[in-house]
Amino acid sequence: MITVNPITLKQWQRFKSIKRGYWSALIFAALLLLTVFAELLVSNRALIVSYEGNIYLPSYGAIIPGKELGLDYDYETNYRDLKLVFKDTDNWLLLPPIPFDPLENHFIDGKFPPYAPSLEHRHYLGTDNTGRDIAARLIYGFRIAIWFSLLLLFFNYLIGVSVGSLMGFMGGKFDLFFQRLIEIWSNIPFLYVIMIIASIVVPGFWTLIGVMIIFGWMSMTWYMRTATYKENSRDYVMAARAIGASNISIIFRHIMPNTISIMVTFIPFSIASGITALTALDYLGFGLPPPTPSWGELLRQGTDNLDAPWIIASVVSGMTLILVMVTYIGEAIREAFDPKKFTTYE
Amino acid sequence: MNKFITLTFVLLSTLSQSLYASFSLPAGVSWETNTADPIYASPDAEIGGTLRSYLRSFPLTLRAAGPDSNGGFATYTGAFELSLVGLHPESLKPVPSLASHWAYHPDGKTVFFKLDPRARWSDGKQVTADDYVFTQTFNRSKHIVDPFKNDYFTNRIINIKKHDDFVVSVEAASAKPKEEIMFNVAVSPTPEHFHILNENWVRSYNWKIEPTTGPYDITKVRKGKYIRFTRKLDWWANDNKYFKYRFNPKTIHLKVIRDDNIAFRHFLRGELDVFFSSATNIWHERSKHKLYKNGYIHRVWFYNLGPVSPQGLYMNQDDELLSDINIRKGIAHSLAVDKMIETVMRGEYARSQHFYQGYGDYSNNNLKAPQFDLDKAAKYFAAAGWVKRGPDGILVKNDNRLSINLSYGSEKLTKRLVVFKQEAKKAGLELKLELIDSASSFKKMMEKKHQIAFGNWSTGVVPSYWSMWHSDNAHKPQTVNITNMDEPILDELITSYRDSVSKQERVKLGLDIQQIIHDKNVFIPTLKGNMNREAYWRWMKYPEDLGTSRTAALLAPIPWTDWTFWIDVAGKQATKDALSDGDVFDPVTIIDTTYKAVQ
Repeated sequence: MITVNPITLKQWQRFKSIKRGYWSALIFAALLLLTVFAELLVSNRALIVSYEGNIYLPSYGAIIPGKELGLDYDYETNYRDLKLVFKDTDNWLLLPPIPFDPLENHFIDGKFPPYAPSLEHRHYLGTDNTGRDIAARLIYGFRIAIWFSLLLLFFNYLIGVSVGSLMGFMGGKFDLFFQRLIEIWSNIPFLYVIMIIASIVVPGFWTLIGVMIIFGWMSMTWYMRTATYKENSRDYVMAARAIGASNISIIFRHIMPNTISIMVTFIPFSIASGITALTALDYLGFGLPPPTPSWGELLRQGTDNLDAPWIIASVVSGMTLILVMVTYIGEAIREAFDPKKFTTYE
Repeated sequence: MNKFITLTFVLLSTLSQSLYASFSLPAGVSWETNTADPIYASPDAEIGGTLRSYLRSFPLTLRAAGPDSNGGFATYTGAFELSLVGLHPESLKPVPSLASHWAYHPDGKTVFFKLDPRARWSDGKQVTADDYVFTQTFNRSKHIVDPFKNDYFTNRIINIKKHDDFVVSVEAASAKPKEEIMFNVAVSPTPEHFHILNENWVRSYNWKIEPTTGPYDITKVRKGKYIRFTRKLDWWANDNKYFKYRFNPKTIHLKVIRDDNIAFRHFLRGELDVFFSSATNIWHERSKHKLYKNGYIHRVWFYNLGPVSPQGLYMNQDDELLSDINIRKGIAHSLAVDKMIETVMRGEYARSQHFYQGYGDYSNNNLKAPQFDLDKAAKYFAAAGWVKRGPDGILVKNDNRLSINLSYGSEKLTKRLVVFKQEAKKAGLELKLELIDSASSFKKMMEKKHQIAFGNWSTGVVPSYWSMWHSDNAHKPQTVNITNMDEPILDELITSYRDSVSKQERVKLGLDIQQIIHDKNVFIPTLKGNMNREAYWRWMKYPEDLGTSRTAALLAPIPWTDWTFWIDVAGKQATKDALSDGDVFDPVTIIDTTYKAVQ
């Protein structure tokens, strides 16, 4: 039987009572879940195809060459065309709501990209300057940005929290050494490092995460160090020591749970900064390699093509929406964890 | 006293006559000049007004040699720097400039020049043979820290000799036909009285304004803000047939505006006179502004002839995969170049057919670029053993995917290359786009570390083959043989081409060389960038026939122009008044496609 700490319960209730934060969290969680199944919503592959009595599910896995579905080519079936071919036959297929791949160039005869939003062509947010669907790129770009940001957060916190707690717990020379190390390390201009790396190799998803971890883990250390220092001098730590608990178990089982509120309050803001960092790098051209769908790249196209306002409008509203939601969640969490109202300090 | 003056005068005149007479051309060589070619400027042109344009960054130096002297600003100073002879854009024959006459030595290497005695530096000093001899000293000097110039004036031009005050000869390292040698030897003078060559030269001359022989002087420099040129009204060459009616703005004001989008706003406010508008979105979308519609801003779009810079994909034959000609051919047939041109480039360009286009007789125009053809691609890939498709539709062989890196150095190309990438998938080929910054991408190419590189080279007046296709330059870094072409027959032909001094023979050899290069399928041409689009305020004027078939620009970008445009000063005031009165004119867009598809 899981028992919930009454304080945690109160914090949760407090969080729920802050409506805009609570709803933002729900929507955000839903979006996160949706990105996992983005292929079912946004893809040029059909969800289900019934051809000559056989049922195909092309969304995931290997491509289905055109020949297998009665067309005359070996490469991947174009399901939008197939739908037209299937018209007035017994065969049928179901396309996702946005029937475009984020990398696919879709050209409309007699017109030149960027195409304005249109229901007829199912480009609900229009296309960019090479005929790629903006809605598709926005959604896949979000998927990459958010997972990038979450992974970054995880590793940054893993290192930052461990080092910070150790500094606070061990003190002395260890603390002194790391303090200086972090001070020096934080002064390395991170953006330049990225630029230099990007000019030599093409940065991929993992190299970018790697570099950003190397230069991003420090921010949490200071908070964790202070918090651990504070907790370390409390009676319960002394009690744990007295019964012979090991250092590791004191840090991770006794001190850390008591400093969790600090971490939790920072998380949403770290997510936001992760997204903005990736977007900024992509915007400057030092981020993920083309043709990866990314918000930064869209932003740049948007500013270069102000005559096609749908590009900039889509990405700016998308980004504002996400960042505002994340900020609301962050606010609500901070409020919920605010000791002024809920802790039992004497 | 009077006697003395007369005597001196007689003495001086005999002296100068004897000096002049002391030089005579070798037997069988005679002076020639060219005043027969038509002028290409308009007699309607008037000198006056201020041309206002912008620089993306402030130059790092005003020097014409040494470190950082090859930036964008050098195209301006270069445009105002005269050399011994000019080149007539239509006939491609030399025309008088600093030299009034020239004579070709039968050795095919040396050209004599008779200098125009009227020629003056900005400070009034006469331009003499010494200034040409000094050019050689100067450009060979280690003090200028310019290895390229050092090399050129040592290994390409081997001697500049003064014969008398107004006759010099310039000797090139290798013999060439008459039609070609002139392009190598027509050097520019360097003012001897201005330079003190020592180890401080680079630093102390960084911001010094060198006297010029050309029509403009830099008259004001505000570092980081602007540079202003002023027309020399009593310029010595004002009456030269081919300079007359050209170089018309009285002042040229170049402001630093770091962002093109912001510069465009300045243009709309009438603070810039011209705007380079070749980019599709500028030409099509921005022209929807009411200043265009109301006829205040006019547009011109024209095509031109001349060597086409070979823009396309360069395949590295040292790469394991690309060493197989079948793979190279397969790739060539998997590239949807036409589709790219028809869609993202709006069909405004023609497809480039081969490497050496636009060189007149020197071009082998029987060569045709490979077309996008999935059957042919499949055939060639199969011949190389790639038949089976993997789960993602890309061909596989022994667990390897047919995946190739395509490196390039400019974000602007992404839009074209994504079309290639998407379409190549249909042929079972994966192109991995590798965008790195332009300097690194160039370095990578020069070190031959690329698989396929998207490149674009500058062109000469006649084709040259050795540096790019001779095996001397293959398999080693820092040479431009980026395809690692290593073909004995080709080497032989190239050597004969270099040694030949007969134009006819060179043309024939060239055609064979081009055929072999084309058959090796190492370069896939994409589009021919032989057009220009410009927007300008209605007070800007240019010759009615839009210049010559080789005109690169009428008004913008300014350094590319023939300098035949002028500013209608009265018209400018009238336009400003009309604008404040809210008048409406007819919109003007001139489109001339005469040379669009001409080879």
